[in-house]
Amino acid sequence: MHHVVVEQWSRRRSFLHVRDARAKLLVALALLAALATAPASPISAVPFAFLVLTGIAAARLPMASMLRKAAVVLPFSLLFALVEWAAGQPMAGMALLAKSYVSALTVLLLVASTPQPLLLSGMESLGAPRLLVLMAQTLYRYLFVISEQAQHMRLAASCRQGSGARRSRARAFQAAAGALAILFARSYSRAEGIQRAMAARGFTGDFHSLQRRSFNSRDTVFACAGAALAVLAHLVARRP
Amino acid sequence: MHIPDNFLSTRVWLTLDGVAAPAVAWVARRAHKGLDEARIPLLGVLGAFVFAAQMVNFPVGVGTSAHLVGGALLTAILGPAPAALVMTAIIATQAFVFQDGGVLALGANVFNMALAGVLAAWVPLRLFSGRRRVSLFLAGFLSVAMSAGLALAELTISGIRMPPRLLALSAGLFAIGAIVEGMITLAAVRAIERLNPRWIGPAPANGSRAWAAIAFAAVLVVVVGLFAASGAPDGVMQIGQWADLHARPVWAAPMADYSLPAGPLWLRRPAAAMLGLGLVGGSAVAASYFLLRRRSS
Repeated sequence: MHHVVVEQWSRRRSFLHVRDARAKLLVALALLAALATAPASPISAVPFAFLVLTGIAAARLPMASMLRKAAVVLPFSLLFALVEWAAGQPMAGMALLAKSYVSALTVLLLVASTPQPLLLSGMESLGAPRLLVLMAQTLYRYLFVISEQAQHMRLAASCRQGSGARRSRARAFQAAAGALAILFARSYSRAEGIQRAMAARGFTGDFHSLQRRSFNSRDTVFACAGAALAVLAHLVARRP
Repeated sequence: MHIPDNFLSTRVWLTLDGVAAPAVAWVARRAHKGLDEARIPLLGVLGAFVFAAQMVNFPVGVGTSAHLVGGALLTAILGPAPAALVMTAIIATQAFVFQDGGVLALGANVFNMALAGVLAAWVPLRLFSGRRRVSLFLAGFLSVAMSAGLALAELTISGIRMPPRLLALSAGLFAIGAIVEGMITLAAVRAIERLNPRWIGPAPANGSRAWAAIAFAAVLVVVVGLFAASGAPDGVMQIGQWADLHARPVWAAPMADYSLPAGPLWLRRPAAAMLGLGLVGGSAVAASYFLLRRRSS
């Protein structure tokens, strides 16, 4: 699965991985905000790209794969870049393309250097509602399980009917609705099982993490330096 | 439709972050009220189901297929507040984990799909609870039409200059998408009901019908207005000029144009944006703090 790789990357160890999730989140937000307010020119993205690439190198993450994964944003951006180009603003279109790509790379660096549970508990201590965070934790935990089940069902369905089978569109639509209902039924019964298992283990509405990290002085220095670098990159981007 | 970062102007994304953060805190509190703590895993797993359900392709047209968006389905199963919260968790996961939609634009995406989208789905479910098929179709249709119309309007306000023909074309495509979502929601809910009617309870009976009717009218006006506006942006500009919108600001904002009034020129805009983000975070924390205090007292 696509994201399992990023999940593995996030559990490596490096200078960036050991920083507190809150510090990394704040630096990422500062970078995104500074980039978003930089002038609409593709050159604006260059200093930010430099910072993020340095971050990827510092976190010892595979550069080529990271660059490839962040490209998911490109089809959408390309469409709008073409629209801007057609409206007689090729530079604005290029800026959109470059800036949205660097933004996606920034977020990817954040999730590839922070395990998801730590990132979510960091968000909770920064003020995200607890119920939302708990929900996101279970969602993330079972996302791949249920997606895999959906893939198995799709494989089984195409084995039964064959890819060349011709059915009326209405029947195919009904069949898809039926598949959705079956997937729902399986998810629901799985959820009930999980619920019972968790209740049996004493779940009262709180996830406990074995790792407790405190925000130490290094994290403070990292957060301040990161925000300063974001402003510096913005300053460089404003220079003609 | 997930808007990535850098598509919206600072004005738009910061405002919508400011609206969405306290609104989500409020929705979380409402959802928490009627919720047994033990049911939290169920909500999370249903969020994962909506994710996975997007792999099931529904054939529409010649050689094209569509998939479920899920806002209306979740509203029919869980009710409005939990559905909005699950949608928020889905959208945040998509933004952070899959880079599908921006992080600064998270407020905009949550507002479009989780808050306005779920509201637009809930209103017909509440109002036409007697006519199950109509209400389910309308729920799917309106939730997608609302989200797509809002996204289109936000992009237009942010200064993405789409030629009128292209705007009309995309509005048309969104309208088709909304019809398809209505059909999928209807078919999926009926198929789930056939398996086990208990999973989808009777239509929500809480809240007054009068309010639902007013909300329905508002949703219709907004959806029709958004599509009309995106089809004819020049007309909206014209109305703006007639109304003389920019003549007299009611309140002189301390950070007009999203730049600080003082300080070195190069620092004004990023500092204003970061300060704004800080304010958004602070207001959300304050909102949830006061709400929690009210709940426990």
